[in-house]
Amino acid sequence: MKNGHDISHHDSALLHVTGRSVYINDMQVSEQLLYGRVFYSTQAHARIKSFNLEKAKKLNGVAAVLSAKDIPGENQVGPVIRDEVCLADGKVECYGQAVFLVAAVDDETAYQACRLIEIEYEPLPAVTDIETAMGKRALLLPERKIETGDVDRAFTVAGNTVEGVLKTGAQEHWYLETQTSLCIPGEGNEMKVFASTQHPSETQAVVAEVLGVRRHEVTVEMKRMGGAFGGKETQGNHIAAWAALLARATGCPVKIHLFRDDDQIITGKRHPFLSKYKAAYTSEGKITALDVELNADGGCANDLSMPIMERAMFHTDNAYYIPNLRVVGKILKTNHPSNTAFRGFGGPQGMAVIETVIDRIARQLKKDAAEIRKLNFYGAKSDNVTHYGQVVENNRLELLFNKLLERSDYRKLKRETEAFNRENEFLKKGLALTPVKFGISFTTSFLNQAGALVNIYQDGTVLISHGGTEMGQGLHTKMVEVASSLLGISKEFIRISATDTSKVPNTSATAASSGSDLNGMAVADAIGKIIRRLSEFLSEKYADKIHGSKKPFVFKDDFVTHPDLSGFKLAFPELIREAYLNQISLSATGFYKTPDIYFDREKGKGKPFHYYAFGMSVSQVLIDTLTGSHKILKTFILHDVGNSINPRIDKGQVEGGFIQGVGWCTTEEIKWDDDGRLLTFSPDTYKIPGVKDIPEEFHVELLENVPNPGTIKNSKAVGEPPFMHAFSVWLAIKDAVSAVGEHRFEPDFQIPATNEMILQSVEKIRKLQKGKRNL
Amino acid sequence: MPVQQSIRFILDDQVVELDFQQSGQYTPVTTVLNYLRSLPGHKGVKEGCGQGDCGACTVVLAEPDGRGGLSYKAVNSCLIFLPMIHGKQLITVENINEEDKDHHPVLHPVQLALVQHDGTQCGYCTPGMVASMFALYKNHRNPAKEVVEDALSGNLCRCTGYRSIVDAALDACKVKDNDHFSRNKEQVIEKLDALYRNTETIVIQTGNHTYLKPFTMTEALKLRRENPDALMITGATDVALLKTKKHLHLPKILDLSGLDELKLILEDHHRIVIGAGTTMEEIREYCISRLPALAGILHVFGSLQIRNMATMGGNLMSASPIGDTLPLLIALHAKVRLLGNNKQRDLPVEDFITGYRQTDIHADELPALILIPKPKKNVIIRSYKLSKRTDLDISTVSACFRMVLTKENKVREIDIVYGGMADRPKRAAAAELVLKDELWSRALVERAANQLEKAFQPLSDARAAADTRMIMARNLLLKFWLETGRDDLNEKKETD
Ligand SMILES: Cc1cc2nc3c(=O)[nH]c(=O)nc-3n(C[C@H](O)[C@H](O)[C@H](O)COP(=O)(O)OP(=O)(O)OC[C@H]3O[C@@H](n4cnc5c(N)ncnc54)[C@H](O)[C@@H]3O)c2cc1C
Ligand code: FES
Ligand code: FES
Repeated sequence: MKNGHDISHHDSALLHVTGRSVYINDMQVSEQLLYGRVFYSTQAHARIKSFNLEKAKKLNGVAAVLSAKDIPGENQVGPVIRDEVCLADGKVECYGQAVFLVAAVDDETAYQACRLIEIEYEPLPAVTDIETAMGKRALLLPERKIETGDVDRAFTVAGNTVEGVLKTGAQEHWYLETQTSLCIPGEGNEMKVFASTQHPSETQAVVAEVLGVRRHEVTVEMKRMGGAFGGKETQGNHIAAWAALLARATGCPVKIHLFRDDDQIITGKRHPFLSKYKAAYTSEGKITALDVELNADGGCANDLSMPIMERAMFHTDNAYYIPNLRVVGKILKTNHPSNTAFRGFGGPQGMAVIETVIDRIARQLKKDAAEIRKLNFYGAKSDNVTHYGQVVENNRLELLFNKLLERSDYRKLKRETEAFNRENEFLKKGLALTPVKFGISFTTSFLNQAGALVNIYQDGTVLISHGGTEMGQGLHTKMVEVASSLLGISKEFIRISATDTSKVPNTSATAASSGSDLNGMAVADAIGKIIRRLSEFLSEKYADKIHGSKKPFVFKDDFVTHPDLSGFKLAFPELIREAYLNQISLSATGFYKTPDIYFDREKGKGKPFHYYAFGMSVSQVLIDTLTGSHKILKTFILHDVGNSINPRIDKGQVEGGFIQGVGWCTTEEIKWDDDGRLLTFSPDTYKIPGVKDIPEEFHVELLENVPNPGTIKNSKAVGEPPFMHAFSVWLAIKDAVSAVGEHRFEPDFQIPATNEMILQSVEKIRKLQKGKRNL
Repeated sequence: MPVQQSIRFILDDQVVELDFQQSGQYTPVTTVLNYLRSLPGHKGVKEGCGQGDCGACTVVLAEPDGRGGLSYKAVNSCLIFLPMIHGKQLITVENINEEDKDHHPVLHPVQLALVQHDGTQCGYCTPGMVASMFALYKNHRNPAKEVVEDALSGNLCRCTGYRSIVDAALDACKVKDNDHFSRNKEQVIEKLDALYRNTETIVIQTGNHTYLKPFTMTEALKLRRENPDALMITGATDVALLKTKKHLHLPKILDLSGLDELKLILEDHHRIVIGAGTTMEEIREYCISRLPALAGILHVFGSLQIRNMATMGGNLMSASPIGDTLPLLIALHAKVRLLGNNKQRDLPVEDFITGYRQTDIHADELPALILIPKPKKNVIIRSYKLSKRTDLDISTVSACFRMVLTKENKVREIDIVYGGMADRPKRAAAAELVLKDELWSRALVERAANQLEKAFQPLSDARAAADTRMIMARNLLLKFWLETGRDDLNEKKETD
């Protein structure tokens, strides 16, 4: 186990399997710990006529009941745009909006106190679906547009067109660890916050703001999350702010750990989209123009809707060169909880549109959709500029396509699928191949920065702090890997500390798949500084022996050596001890910002991404057209992560991301009723994939020997891109439905393709077919 | 009559005695999950949902299997009240590894395999996964992939995509079982036997809770008569939700899970007899060869954790329109035997269920047995369950069909019962009438299906719209015909 050449498992794996990992809810806290609860609105839109907290306050064991007027600072938690109150004040704008906070000696007492709160609402007209919001032009922000070529002209000369509407559903994050925060008041204004958050610096800012204190008085610490997936990028802040308010009011530590159903009801989800599209194409199937209007249900406040919409707009091309493309993005205001980040961050919603367009073109031309896809791929040398002006470099689409056809034996699968469908009336198979091209970087360019702090102690052990947060994705494991190879010491001497705003300040969220890219570089920067200091120290000390040699000292296998110093071999801990005695600083900060990226929002042009991640997948499914059930028979994924820092972790990300995407595309259905109440508010009705929902045959392969220039260890980000491999499953299901009508009718199809949707779609095709026969 | 006022179980190799009057911290309806999480050494056990749907809280219960060994069952600790573990060994993730002399963990094969296969990312599902895999390991050597999947169907993981976990489980169960549980088996059995021999009723009275747990039928009937207001439980998989989700106060509980007399399955020439306290998993295993239609429906009943606790009596008494065994019990003309004080009634299940979650039970009665007439060779039975997700999901629509055909392929006997289509599991009498004595053909089935629209006005809800339910009901009838009809179509049987 030397020197990082072995591939390690997740650095918490041993703790996880023995039940010894500590999450916030597991922390030992003093006897005075109080339990916090959120009283939330049961109206989608209403004026609060009156309320009475007295009965609740009087309940034995209740320490505090707070309303908006008890907030010492600003009643505001909006992360980008300041349009989201911490507690409802005078009116509520969604079912699930926090109105009051309760702290009590135990959770049950806090619950009973909530029941004693009296509130009277005067209902106001509510907008509870996207269509109504579109009709009312209820925009949260001015609409955005990105355009290239001459779309209108392209349509006037177009041979064939396809036009339609695609709806994609919301998705609940369903991190296994629900939102949690523990706040411990210190002396004066100090507040120590433990929060399950992807963005400790923002949590710190929000907590300081609601408490009316300054940021240097608030420390946020985050060791690990039990999953996040974007759901704790901004919305973890809210829970922390609530717990902090209660802690301030009571002077006691307060913990809020949301019950699952409350978490589902209160927090925002992936944005549902209603997308209108129109495309022009040639008789071969080459797309000449695409005109798309993306409408997102932003919920009642902005949260991250703007950058999410922006990413959706950046991904309406997916992997295809479309010379004339116009995409308009509108974020609608509805009376739903504010929708938020979720793995893919708008990318999946944008890409679903173009994938639908291609699927339809293939059906109309009676061609294999995989061929149409290939025909439209970005070129390597030409046809390689996106609609926002970025050149697609290091394009791996063709490589992936050819390899994947071979790996999956695609043509044989195709023949087998068709033969099966000829023989069976009620069981149908479907097949699809879909590509992913995903831009890596925060599209808000200044966020692409990171910091790190590396401390080496006198025994030679290393403690690293960086701005990234660990949510299971293996970021810390990769950081250890980076540090181990740079310092040339075994991983066992390196630890990553909890993410802490007092160690590394002003960090960005661990999001946009960029955690390793940014923090890895910052860690490398800090280590570089220390290595330089150590080398200088050694050069000076051994100056007479190395005679001005410019060759560097070599840090490897837990020792330092020098090529011109035979016999010189110093163990790393000894070196550190010596350096300390010679007054060399053994602590350094590191910093990194992604070079060369920019985007002009007015013009809709720029280079928003440092690079692209690529991947491709093939899935074959079987559906029962009488029950609407489906089974994924086979999935082949080929994915590009550059030179993987840790292939074990990257493979886990690809598999997990894909299955999460499969959930969004199939069984995960968010339904609201007309009153804006979430119907699928518990795992009883909201169904994420289980162990039997994965492909019967599941092949995942990382592309090899594809170094990515200009990134940490030539690697690529991996968190989000694999999510969209799920389109191969979604479109394979559509292909199977389409087979019911021998591909002569376009199936009604949306995301998610639940058993209900499949049945309804099949039913419609059967009716159309009967109609034809009867003619 | 002497009673026990405390409960006893094994945790961390020791017999723990919990006296609720003394402890103050716990009530008899404190869940095992909350109890464990209140202890310093068992915070590994996680709450992911508090309602049986995620498995993060999975623990293993061991008890003597009656054959000189121990049985190990994975269960959801979030749905179990403390007195229900009386007389059992409670095993959590923290108990599964051993330690070397420096107190470093020595991993159990299931833990080691999870690490080696990268079956853990954020780790929050992992303690429950480990518990389920451990129970699998204790019960199976070299299990088939399907067995592994069954064992893990009650454990959700949002991070990994499961492939790595399944591989880990397959791998771990290859090695010979020689873990410390096997080595310490005798001591555990001895301790449990000692607890087991005491059959004095457990009576727990605290400030505002009464909890009664009898061990004999005589006692149970007496307590039932004296406490008609007590809420009865067996597996509590339904009732616990009243506490965890609805926060209802449950002042008085009559826990019937200690009645060995109600845990039985046997058969004679005419019928299969199932005790009300028999768990769904026991019934499933028994029925695989003897009543495949019931085994089939139980295969997709909740998860293994749920089936290890849920009972036939509980399912019947829930009288839910989506109670999964009920369409079958009705279609097969099953009866429930109700025992009262000095009386006994056998009632057809169909008549026993009188409305939405309502039964015709009398205030002094207990359901004892379910009597299912043994189908003759020529009886065709099929049951179906449609849900959004195949496993661990509640039925959108379910159905059971029972049919006897004549030599001429005419319908001699037919029973069609649907779940999820009305306020209770309901017979489609009009459709039966259309089919009776007619030639079993696709055209006939279509005609019968048309009757369903007159008979049912299903609801629209979170699971599906009313018209979808109607399509499902029609399609299931057609599916039944496809699987049993003898003419034209030869559908390949690739799905279930
Ligand atoms: C996650 C989850 C998944 C589930 N999945 C399914 C499913 O797929 N299909 C399905 O049908 N159900 C399902 N259920 C519901 C439940 O598990 C079943 O109804 C089960 O059969 C109930 O049995 P029990 O022994 O746990 O009943 P309990 O919860 O103990 O009791 C249920 C009802 O029966 C009464 N009762 C219990 N025992 C007796 C007795 N001995 N005498 C008289 N009355 C009694 C109780 O008072 C109560 O009204 C699920 C529940 C959960 C939490
Ligand atoms: S906590 Fe989810 S099943 Fe118990
Ligand atoms: S590892 Fe995160 S939920 Fe399973």
